[in-house]
Amino acid sequence: MEQVLFIVWRESVEALLVVGILYSWLRATPEGRRGLPYLWGGVAAGLGLALLLALVLLGVSSWLSDEGQEWFQAGMALAACALVVQMVVWMKRHGRTLKRELEGGARQSVVHDNWWGLLVLVAIAVAREGSETVVFLYGTVSAAQAQSPWLLALAGVAGFAVALLTFWLLQLGGRLITWRRFFRLTEALLLLLAGALLVGGLDHLISLGVLPTLVDPVWDSSWLLDDSIGVGKVLADFAGYRAYPALTSVLCLAAYWLIVWALLRRTDRQAAAAAQPRPATH
Amino acid sequence: MRARALLAALLLAGAAGAARAADLPTFTLTFKPDGTFEPARLEVPAGRFKIALINDSSEPVEFESIPLRKEKVLGPGVKSFVVITISRPGEYPFFDDFHQQVRGTLVVKPQE
Repeated sequence: MEQVLFIVWRESVEALLVVGILYSWLRATPEGRRGLPYLWGGVAAGLGLALLLALVLLGVSSWLSDEGQEWFQAGMALAACALVVQMVVWMKRHGRTLKRELEGGARQSVVHDNWWGLLVLVAIAVAREGSETVVFLYGTVSAAQAQSPWLLALAGVAGFAVALLTFWLLQLGGRLITWRRFFRLTEALLLLLAGALLVGGLDHLISLGVLPTLVDPVWDSSWLLDDSIGVGKVLADFAGYRAYPALTSVLCLAAYWLIVWALLRRTDRQAAAAAQPRPATH
Repeated sequence: MRARALLAALLLAGAAGAARAADLPTFTLTFKPDGTFEPARLEVPAGRFKIALINDSSEPVEFESIPLRKEKVLGPGVKSFVVITISRPGEYPFFDDFHQQVRGTLVVKPQE
C-alpha cells in the first residue's frame, strides 16, 4: 500500500518538476502563455509514448529490442539534458525581451521553434518515468491477490495526488518568494537534473560498449555516501552522483558544468546589455 | 525544426539497436514469486558479461543498481537481460526497485 503510493510519487516527481517549473515560467508573462498549448501537447505526447514503452516492458509488444531499449533510453536522457540546458539559456536570454520579439514578428519563427523543443522536452520527461509507473501500477493491480485491487489502485491515485501537491507547492513557491529568486532556484534545480540525465545517458552508452570507461572506477566513495539508498540515491537521481564513477562520466560531467557556466555567463552579459536602455520592470 | 529532427534521430537510434550481445559469459538471475533473488549472491568474473533476468513472479520488478549502471523494468513473466562491464573486483549491491527489501549482491572475481 504505502509502497505503491511512494513509488508512484517518486516516479512522477521528476516529470512534475520539469513540467511544473516550465509551467510557472510560461505563466509569468502573457507572451509565455502562448507556449502553454505546447506544454500540454508535450504532456499528452509523453503519456502516449509512456504507454508504448510500457507495452514493451510488459512483454506485450516488441517494437524495441533489449538493445534498442538501451539506445532509446540513452537517447532520451541525453536529448532531455541538451533540451533542459537550451531551455534554461533561452529563458534567461528571452525572458525579458520575449514580448518585444513577438511583437517584432521577425523572430517569431525562432520563438516558434523553441516551443517545439519545449514540447519534446516535456514529452521525454513524462515518458521516461511514466512508462515505469504504468508497468508498476498495471502489474501490481493485476497481481493483487491478498489485497483488493481497488485499494491498490486508490494508493496509486493517492501517490499521483501527492505528486500533484508537490507541483502545487512549487507553484506556491513561485508566489511566495520573489520571481528572481524562484527563477534562480528552479534554474539551478533544472541544471542539476540535466547533469543527472547526462550521467544516466552515459551509463547506458557505457553499458552498450560504445563509450570506454577509461578508468573504472576512478574512486570509491561508497564508504562516505552510498548511491543506492537515502541521500546518496536522491543525489544520484537529481544531480548525477556516483559512488563508483567511471572516468568518462567524471570528465563529461565536468565538461558539462564548464559549458553551462560559460553559456550562462555569456547570456548574463547579453541580457545585461539588452536591459540597459530600458530598466527591468519585474 | 531542430527539435523535430532530434526526435526523429531518437526514434531511429532506438529502432537500429539490433541484438548484438552474443558470445558473452552469461549468468542467470531469477526474481522468484516469494520475493527473493535466485541466487542472492551472484559470482561473475571481472570484465564484460551478460546477466539473463527472469521475472518468475506475478508482479512487475525493476532490477536496479547504480554502481552497475543498470535500471531495467520487467513485467510479470518477462525475460530479458543486461550487459555489464565491471573491471574492478569487489561486491556490488543490486535490488528490486519496486520491492526495495529485495536485495542481492554481485560478486566480481578477479580474472585469472
